Amino acid sequence: MWRLLALRPSWPSPEAEGPAPSDPEGFRPLEAPWEARRAEALPWPEPLYFVDGREREEALLAQGERLALLGCVAAGVVAHQGGRMALLSYAVRRVGVGLSEPLWVGELLYEPVEAQGADYASLREGLSRAREALEGEVAAGLSGGLLVVDGPVRLLRPGPLLGYIKTHWARYLPGPEEALLYALRPGERTPAFRVRRKGMELASWYLRLPLPPEGLRPPQAGLLRVETPLSGPFSELADLSLSLFPLLASHPMKDPRAPQNLVPVGALERELARRMGSPEVVGRLLAKHLGGG
Amino acid sequence: MERIGVVLGRREATPLEFWVGVEGEGLLRLDDLVVVEAFHPKVGQVRYFGMVDHVAKVHEGEAYDTDTFLAVEGRIPVSLAYVAHVSVTRILPEEFLPPDPGSPVRLAQGEELELALYYEAMRNQRGSTKLPAGLLKNGEVAYLNLEFLNGVKGGHVNISGISGVAAKTSYATFLLKSLLESGVLEDAHQAKVLLFNVKGEDLFFLDKPNARLTEEARRAYERLGLPATPFQSVAFLAPPKKDGYVPDLETRLEGVRAYHWDLVQFCQRGLLPFLFADRGFMTNLGFLVQHLTEKLRRLAEGQKGPQLLVEDWPGEDLPAEVSFESLGKVRLKSFADLVRYLEYKLLGPEAGEGEGDRAWTARQAKGTLEAFLRRLRSSVENVAHLVRGDRPGNPPDPLKGEQVHVVDLAKLSPQAQMFVVGSLLKDLFERKERGQYRGRVFIVLDELNKYAPREEESPIKDVLLDIAERGRSLGVILIGAQQTASEVERRVVGNAAIRVVGRLDAAEAERPEYRYLPASFRQRALILPQGAVILHQPEIPVPLLVRFPFPAWATKREEVREDNSAEALRRELLG
Repeated sequence: MWRLLALRPSWPSPEAEGPAPSDPEGFRPLEAPWEARRAEALPWPEPLYFVDGREREEALLAQGERLALLGCVAAGVVAHQGGRMALLSYAVRRVGVGLSEPLWVGELLYEPVEAQGADYASLREGLSRAREALEGEVAAGLSGGLLVVDGPVRLLRPGPLLGYIKTHWARYLPGPEEALLYALRPGERTPAFRVRRKGMELASWYLRLPLPPEGLRPPQAGLLRVETPLSGPFSELADLSLSLFPLLASHPMKDPRAPQNLVPVGALERELARRMGSPEVVGRLLAKHLGGG
Repeated sequence: MERIGVVLGRREATPLEFWVGVEGEGLLRLDDLVVVEAFHPKVGQVRYFGMVDHVAKVHEGEAYDTDTFLAVEGRIPVSLAYVAHVSVTRILPEEFLPPDPGSPVRLAQGEELELALYYEAMRNQRGSTKLPAGLLKNGEVAYLNLEFLNGVKGGHVNISGISGVAAKTSYATFLLKSLLESGVLEDAHQAKVLLFNVKGEDLFFLDKPNARLTEEARRAYERLGLPATPFQSVAFLAPPKKDGYVPDLETRLEGVRAYHWDLVQFCQRGLLPFLFADRGFMTNLGFLVQHLTEKLRRLAEGQKGPQLLVEDWPGEDLPAEVSFESLGKVRLKSFADLVRYLEYKLLGPEAGEGEGDRAWTARQAKGTLEAFLRRLRSSVENVAHLVRGDRPGNPPDPLKGEQVHVVDLAKLSPQAQMFVVGSLLKDLFERKERGQYRGRVFIVLDELNKYAPREEESPIKDVLLDIAERGRSLGVILIGAQQTASEVERRVVGNAAIRVVGRLDAAEAERPEYRYLPASFRQRALILPQGAVILHQPEIPVPLLVRFPFPAWATKREEVREDNSAEALRRELLG
């Protein structure tokens, strides 16, 4: 019998990428000279896909010493085609990290997901991996066009692919080159440089998004790091990204994570949240079936 | 029928109203009629019939208004919500449980449409009482229950609307057409219509085909089951010109008769009060008017007219043109003579400080007598051409001859209009009361606010109130119209079973007189196009927005289709 330990243990869930290994020493530029670059406006490729996922911790359960984290993960795709942005597909799944068999809670079914460890941190990581796996699933069905994913590039696909990182925990640039970041103006990017991560070879660059009103914020604000597999046409993609991301930047009046939280992705997240069900209702269901145990 | 949406669960679904989410290519508009079915194990199947009275589209998931710009530019995905609010008109069987959210919603058509609008209940022992009253937006015929119009269960129609947008008169005549020619009113051939023409000369071509009648309008008449023809049997009556005896009309010359009362009719029928619109019965003046009316009636007893003979008017006071008849009686030849005679009877001979005839003055103070005479004298200018002694009276008689009588008031002074309307209605009502005519009589009167104002008292208002309150049992039906129902006596409007609203003024639509309309209809009354009215009848809990076809009869000279056939020309030459 599982006992309810806490509802929504990390509510509201923090948006954290977590610190990543940083290696400014391994810096290798891919384009020269090292100066701000602009590019002409380019048409968006069609279709243009945005993939993003969401995770939500719903309950922490205990059975003796064992812990299990019940959560909900969702991932979806919005596609830009023919001048319209539309929700293309999505998937929502309830998972129980640390469970060994499916658990029915009322009408909710939590599928078991393995965890690396038994502590809460490992369970949370397991939930994140479930979300990543789901993102991979919805992205796997996409063909052609350009795929833009929220977060670092973790998967490969036949067509072009861009990942973008909103929060900069790691330093990739050594001191002299880093100075260029503060000089970037909206619509400009740095030259591409190489990034190695978990056996992947990537090309990456920084670009600055417009953040109205200009001139009021620190020079680090509005920076977005974009990456793409090194094997692809990274230089063209880097130029294309200047036509893409600044147009999709969100407005600070509307989104606290502006400008890096792109508008279609923000809308996708809202849609996914709706489809994950009301947290209050889920919480009550869980409390009703598991509470007092 | 395929479903066009589902009952929404995010908003309350009740047995009386619910919201519908429209799906995919579905189309729901205001006034559309829908059906929803619900099932509960304890009561079984329940069907809800309703009318859409609110529709809305909204982008869901947009947090800010400006997000719409992003959506238009294709930068964010949005989901479009298309919702409609339904007011339930009927539940079958009457189990007032709410419908389930998610229940499929269908458009009501055919038999279900009839159920939604209670058409199947519009019948009596002898058959259907569905009177065509216009077309719904989906092209189906909208019906009125005749029993609420002909006096069986209710009677009277009240039409409101600002003028100039072709609603009041046009709809009233359309309704008459339907009453007289749809075959639903059983004794239609016996029915009589009295139409007062208060403005222009619009109603003086009711018997002429309209040259501007389009093919589309013809089809509309066909769908309504009405012939697209002008009225067949119409008499046109107009007041005579002030000099001479020619009908005072400009656009139509042929087939119009002049009407007037002679002095004897004036006295015998007791028409004197209708010259005093502001009379209050409690005042001395009111009493005097009543008294004199009675005296005049007795004076005219047995006389043939048109002149009024009086015996006791000594020669020295006589106007030059007054003549004596063989027996020495004095002959009054004009309304002015009658006024002078009354002056003599009330105040005595002009020369000297004489007193009036006690039998006539009714012991009223001199001030009252003079006030009465002042008013009477001022009316000479207004009604002398309508009340005359020079030829036998020819007042309109809507109960004889043609089926429809159009009586013109447009060129008359307000006092004369009051006089004509009051005299005709009183006469008509009294004859119906005495059972002198069996068929139904429909009276069409515009500008009710003038004849039955909310605030003041007048003899015409009394007659109208009488008709409104007792008329329906006697077969006298008032089709009244006004720009603003708020200015008309409540009891006159309140007694109308059928209410019709054309385009309204924004301030007027907010008045309590229109509270029977749901808010959405009050809003729409401000933007009603030509040829559309909102129709409310007792049996159907929601008003219907109906369109009615362009008149098949001409409404002005330019619209008359000239008949140039050989037959017509021969008639004109020989006749």
